[in-house]
Amino acid sequence: MTTVPETTPSPFTFSTTHPIHRQYHFPPFYTPQPILSTHHAQLSQWAVLILDYCRHNRIYSLSLSQVSYSKGTRPDLSAHPHAVLFYNAAIPRWVEPAFAREIVDWMAGEEGGMKAEWRDKVGGSGKKGEDAATGDVFWVYWRRPEEWAGVIEGWVEGSGQKGVVLTVYELLNGDATAKEEWRGMDEELMVKSLQILVKRGRAQVFGGDGQLGVKFF
Amino acid sequence: MSSNRRGVGLSAFSRSSIAASQYASHGSNLRATQSTSFQTQLSVFQNLLHQFSITHAKEIRSNPSFRAEFARMCNAIGVDPLASSHHKGKKEGGSLWAQMLGESVNDFYFELAVRVVEVCRETRGTNGGLVSLAEVRKSVLRGKAIGGGMEVSDDDVVRAVESLKPLGSGFTIIKLGHSQMIRSIPKELNTDQSTVLEAIQVLGYVTVSMLQVNLEWERARAKTVIDDLMGDSLVWADKQAEETEYWSPAYTQGT
Repeated sequence: MTTVPETTPSPFTFSTTHPIHRQYHFPPFYTPQPILSTHHAQLSQWAVLILDYCRHNRIYSLSLSQVSYSKGTRPDLSAHPHAVLFYNAAIPRWVEPAFAREIVDWMAGEEGGMKAEWRDKVGGSGKKGEDAATGDVFWVYWRRPEEWAGVIEGWVEGSGQKGVVLTVYELLNGDATAKEEWRGMDEELMVKSLQILVKRGRAQVFGGDGQLGVKFF
Repeated sequence: MSSNRRGVGLSAFSRSSIAASQYASHGSNLRATQSTSFQTQLSVFQNLLHQFSITHAKEIRSNPSFRAEFARMCNAIGVDPLASSHHKGKKEGGSLWAQMLGESVNDFYFELAVRVVEVCRETRGTNGGLVSLAEVRKSVLRGKAIGGGMEVSDDDVVRAVESLKPLGSGFTIIKLGHSQMIRSIPKELNTDQSTVLEAIQVLGYVTVSMLQVNLEWERARAKTVIDDLMGDSLVWADKQAEETEYWSPAYTQGT
């Protein structure tokens, strides 16, 4: 199992030799390709790039308005460092907001393996496409909640936490989990993952208002 | 006397025919010895080559320049190392690599061919099935498949691609400008398309007006060629430039 480094991770390098990462340096990569098959390849490559970037930096969610800018706009990288994902200053090229949204939508769909999900869809229908256009913040699932549930479950079994009661805060920040992969994870995503364990009958979540606790079975 | 004369008569014929047949048999004896001696020499040489390949199998497999030298040695004595390697099942039909080197070196090229096919297939969506030899070589080196990356030379990749030919794979090596490329889709490039790809190789990208100015093409001709290349995913469009630029993923930097 990989561990979370104590220091901030080294900046993600958009390698010029990695078969997909190097597309970051390829100017047409930023233009939605007019040919369908090429466009398709492009979407899946963007998905890989985003997932690898987020995995490297332990990012669990992103805001579209903070990472994608229209051509000619210079993003404030000190305020929004992750804008580098969709903005390559060296060439210079931008993934414009409409294209960025298309990429996220694609990742959220079946084809993209549901590796993303809008967090703030307005409206209750929950159907894809309808409300997505209003979304801004999205989960980036370099591990899906079910996968996180599996990781947490493995830790519970491996470290003899069965029957133990922990607060979600401890789970995220306590000494016992200092070396676990979910360290620093967004609390909402942690709860989402724990809910899956609840459904499987492997945990119980109780409390509320920032004082959530969990008991593992 | 009379007998002598008779001797001079008919027996002279028989004598000369005896001599002729003696010469002939002596000649064929000589030829036979010579040929056996050649055969012995050849088999000794083949044995040595075989011994050599067994002793150095590891190096042949792991060291590209060593392998290239070895291949050159095989070529020098008229041995096509990979010939008939596709009849592996039959006892007598194994390739010479297989016969001389044992299966392991032969397998090396099959393994490599499989990896080349993999790389070509993986990148086809991006590059439309046209990829530089150098890039394939690097991808194979970085490969995460079993046994880690293989260090190979361009020469090895060419040999591996050629070994695919009998399968009707449609994989061919083409020369574009000064680069060797692997074409993994059996679709010929026409002259105009090759010209544009060569221009991209040199300049990095092209625009329609660049083609008009430099090649003195009609606008329609330039557009048609670009559209065809785009349709086959051989070039990508960059519309954030002043005039739309067309780039080839086969020549991205870092390769």
